[in-house]
Formats: sequence, structure tokens, C-alpha cells
Amino acid sequence: MGKKRKHSEVEVPAAKKEETAPERPKRTLLGWKDKPENQQDSTTFTGFRNKEKVLVTCSRRINYRYRHLMLNLVSILPHCKKDNKVESKATKGATLNELVELKSCSSCLFFECRKHKDLYLWMSKCPNGPSVKFLVNAVHTMEELKLTGNHLKGSRPLLTFSSNFDKDPHWKLLKEMIIQIFGTPKEHRKSKPYHDHVFVFSIVDDHIWFRNYQISCPHTGADKIDRGGLEKMTLIEVGPRFCLNPIKIFGGSFGGPTLYENPFYVSPNQIRSLEKRQKAGKYAKKVKAKTRRKMHEMSNPLETDEFADMWKE
Amino acid sequence: MDRWCGSSVNHGEVLTCSLTSLGLDSESILKKKLLLLTMAIKKRTPKLLEETLPEDEIEDLDMEASESDPETDSESESEGDEDVRLTEPSKTSIYNKDGILDKLGDISWPEDVEWIHKLSLDINQEQEVDVNDDLNRELAFYTQALEGTRQAFVKFQTMGLPFLRPSDYYAEMVKTDSHMEKIKGRLLVEKRRIEEAEERRKARDNKKKAKEVQAQKQKERVKQKKDEIESVKKWRKQRQQSGFAGGEKEGGDMGLPFADGKESQRSSTKNKRPGVSPWDRSGGKAKAGAGKDRKGGAGKRKSREFKDSKYGFGGKKGMKKQNTAETTNDFKGFNKSDSFQNKKRKK
Repeated sequence: MGKKRKHSEVEVPAAKKEETAPERPKRTLLGWKDKPENQQDSTTFTGFRNKEKVLVTCSRRINYRYRHLMLNLVSILPHCKKDNKVESKATKGATLNELVELKSCSSCLFFECRKHKDLYLWMSKCPNGPSVKFLVNAVHTMEELKLTGNHLKGSRPLLTFSSNFDKDPHWKLLKEMIIQIFGTPKEHRKSKPYHDHVFVFSIVDDHIWFRNYQISCPHTGADKIDRGGLEKMTLIEVGPRFCLNPIKIFGGSFGGPTLYENPFYVSPNQIRSLEKRQKAGKYAKKVKAKTRRKMHEMSNPLETDEFADMWKE
Repeated sequence: MDRWCGSSVNHGEVLTCSLTSLGLDSESILKKKLLLLTMAIKKRTPKLLEETLPEDEIEDLDMEASESDPETDSESESEGDEDVRLTEPSKTSIYNKDGILDKLGDISWPEDVEWIHKLSLDINQEQEVDVNDDLNRELAFYTQALEGTRQAFVKFQTMGLPFLRPSDYYAEMVKTDSHMEKIKGRLLVEKRRIEEAEERRKARDNKKKAKEVQAQKQKERVKQKKDEIESVKKWRKQRQQSGFAGGEKEGGDMGLPFADGKESQRSSTKNKRPGVSPWDRSGGKAKAGAGKDRKGGAGKRKSREFKDSKYGFGGKKGMKKQNTAETTNDFKGFNKSDSFQNKKRKK
């Protein structure tokens, strides 16, 4: 069974290219239909089934810290597939789209690291968009020792959103994407029963902040909290932590028309260059001031001192 | 503190002054970039972009920039990896609301999807959170998560689903055991460090207190001594004033603590102890103790004890062998028969 499926996966991109070929159009169509296209599925079936699969990759020359962040995300998303690094070129969008289809995934998280410093996260719904590009900062990985929580690998997380996600359409879209990408599908093969951790997505200062907490709650049975258990419930942070600054939302996956552009965004490159320029200006200013002083002294010479040679005689 | 914070708001000023200096250096190259950022700049700089200014004006601006330089430098260094944002939104940015809503409609799940598929909860933030206040921000996230979890658990409970991990359900965890061990080790080390510091502090406090007490005692002692000397002086003066007439009587009347009380007490105690020589510092205790020790073994005769106390057994020998008024008057050791017997023995 498994083998057969793999076979079909491999065939898909080839089939896509030969779409015009009249040989076996039905089969291609079937292949297309087989893709987990959620909204189509749900409209046709009465029972909804979430078949989300997330491809997680990163660009080449990624920083170790960011790579660890990616691995952490892989460990908390049981419904994801990790893939090899991808060269971050101008044409990466096409390759990524192809890759996602090859892996029969329906969405993608792509960690793009530039200059070993800046991490960009692409979040994209795959066959036909949308996709979002974030700048990631304030990264803390799970390996950091001050985060003491722990939870089951693969248990389904609760997703909590701050209420300002419903304020603007772009936040609404982001919320929907996050629910689909970060929520583990019910009855997923690799997921475990019980709920022992909770994700926080909160918009503060126009950034999306992510936190992951373990739930520790006094209980005896599996389906009932003790009396007063809700009050005694505490959360312990597990990690990772990061903060997403949305830059752009595109209509297609990894490309397409721009739907939203963050009006407040300044790229880290620009900031760095400004800083450098400031520092570079220092010396030039000094030299300029010196010459100006000299010019000033030349133009307004001191009056000759009439008592200068008074004591010489 | 470590910097959790990834963003900051109050960078507009930094940006503006940095931009002024930037615009001056090579405006032709950066014209395009600057156009994006113009919103953040003061009124003067757009003019700068249009035409080159005469030399002196540029210099003026330069001076201005250099004045504000130090503080901006320090700020940018202290918050190196944090991002800057424009103070006002740029007008050229795209915002296609209809397109976004269309896409949202495309990707979103149908309306009637059960909550159990989503597991998402919306929590109302009570108030705006300041990003730069780490503690409050984290608290806000925590409360959001807690509130959400409570709501979710109530929902689960009403649905009757098993949602809490039984204590005997073991499975792979996100963090490995070795990693958790490390965390535990760190916590322990931290705890120990705190305890040690606490102990050290306590010891220091105790020392301080002991010193104080000591000083207090010393003070008291000195005061007492002073008082005593004073009282003696007073007494002497009084005696002198009265011209030694009936001095003895008065002395007795004054009732000085040491004059008749302490001194006499001291002497009396000395005298009270029978069979203890005046120089025996142990006050005859050494012998008594020795006697006690022996008693357990063989038992000591009374005469032996007496002789020990008289002639000394243990303790300093030199002084206690001397006669005192007491011993000269004591004829206990002599009797007729003794001398007689001695003579007899000699024979």
C-alpha cells in the first residue's frame, strides 16, 4: 500500500509537465484530486477530515541556532516532514513548490537564513497560496536550559490566539494559516492522545509572539479534573520562543500578487547600513571640523600684540 | 537581563537622525531607499533629496547630526539585534483587503467544522501590553495560555473525552531524559548557590551581632568600673570633709557595696572553706575531685583526705604549704599520744 502511494507521488510532477499529453488524462486528474485540498474535501464529504501535512525545510548556510529552532518545530509538529536544505536563490519558489508537491504536502514552512544573521520564515499553503514572509527575531530554542517544561511528543496542542487577530483581514488570514499549519490533525498517525501543551500566538506591537507551555494540572482520571483543579493548574514553559514580524503576504505559494505589505517594516540590512554609516561619518566629521577651524583661524587672524616685545629690550 | 524582546517602538528618533546623516553622504544613490523612508524624516530632508544644498548648510546639518550622535550610538549598540520600525506607515505599501479575504475564504475550513479539529481559542487581552516590559509581556502570554487551557479543559470535560495524561502513561517526550537531567542539574546548582549565599549572609549577620553584643558588654564593664571608682572617690571625699571623725562609723553607714559587702564577702568565703589553704586556687576542689575519682575505685580514708587537703595533693605546691593565721591556730594535728607514739616508734 505504502509503496503504491509513493509511486503516485513520484509520478505527480511528471504528470504535471505532460498535462497536454493525451495519453492518460484521467489518471492525472485522479492524482490531482488525491492532493489534500481541504476545502474541496470538506465540501464533498460530510465528515470533515484534516489531512494537513507540512513540509519543513531551510535554506543552505543556516545558522546553528536557527537550525535548532527548525528542529524544535519539527519535534512539536508531528504532522510535518523535514526535508533537505534548499539553495536560497531567486528561483527557490518554484523548486520549493515542486518539492512540496513531491512530498505530497499541503503547506510549507521554509526557514531562510541570510548573512548568517537574519532569519526569514516563509509560511505557505501550497498548491495555490497564499504565502507569508516573516522576519523572525527574539529566537530562543528548546535547548536553552532555563525552560523547564516538557510534554509528550506528538500530543495535540491547544492553540490560543489573542483577540486582536480578528481585528484586521490580514491578521485573520494569518490566524487561519496558523491554525491549519500548527494544529495537529485529529487522529493523525503520529499524534498521541491527551492534551498536555498549549501554544500561544499573541499579537503585541504588530508582531506575532509564539510561546509553548506545558500544562500541569492535578488529576486522578484521564477525563476529569479534580475539584479545584482548574484553579490549581499551572503552566511551565517548554519552548521554543520566537517572534514573527510579517513582511508580505503573497497570493500564490512562494510568489504571486502581493496582497499585503507591512507599512512599518524596515529590513535589517537597512538598519545595519544606517548604523555603519553613522559610525563611518564620525572620522569625516572630525576632519571637516579641523579644516574648518583652520580656515576660520586663517580668515580672522589675531591682532598683533602691541606689548609683545616690551620686555625684550 | 537577557533580551527577549525582539522589537522596540521608540526608534523613530534614531532613524530620523541617522537618516539625516545618511541623506547627506550620498543622496543620489540612496534616493530610492529614502523615498521609502521619508515618512520618518523631518520636513527638511525631503528638500534635501530634491536639490543639493549649498556647502555651509550641509555643514550645519552635519554639526546637528554629530551632536546627537553619542546617544544614538549607545542605543543602537545596546539593542543591536532588535528591529527598527518606521514611525509612520509608508504610503506606498500594498493592502489588498478584498484579495486577502478571498484567499481566506479559499483556504479556510468549512464553518461547521467541530471545535475538536481546530482546538483554537480566542482570548481577550484585557489591556495593551508594553513590548519592552519583559515581565508584563510574558505574564500576558502566560495568562492567555492559562485562560485558554481552562476553557479548553471545560469543553473537553463536557464532551467527556479523555484529555489528561494518566500518570502511568509513558511515551516519548519532546525533550530527552538526558536534556531534562541537565536542566535538573542546573536547577540544583542554582538552588545550592542561593542556599550558600544565604548561609554566608547569615554568618555575616551573626558576626555583626556578636560584635555588637561584645561591644555593649565591654561598654558596660567599663561603665561599672568607672562607677565604682567614682563611688570610692566620693566616699573618700566625704570622709575627708568630715575630717576622719567617726570615719569608721560613717564608712559602715555608707554601705558601699565593696566596702563591707563585697570585700567582706570575699574574705568570708575564703574563710568559710575549711581545710583549704589560702593559695589553693582550686579552693580545695582539685582534691575533692581527685577524691571522688578515687572513691569509685578503692574508696579514700577520711584522714587521707584531710592530709591531702592539708599538705597538698595536686595543684600548686609552693604557696599552700605556708602557714596562715588559721593554720597556726589549728591544733588539730597535735595530740599527746602522737608525740608519745612517735617517740615509741623511734625506739
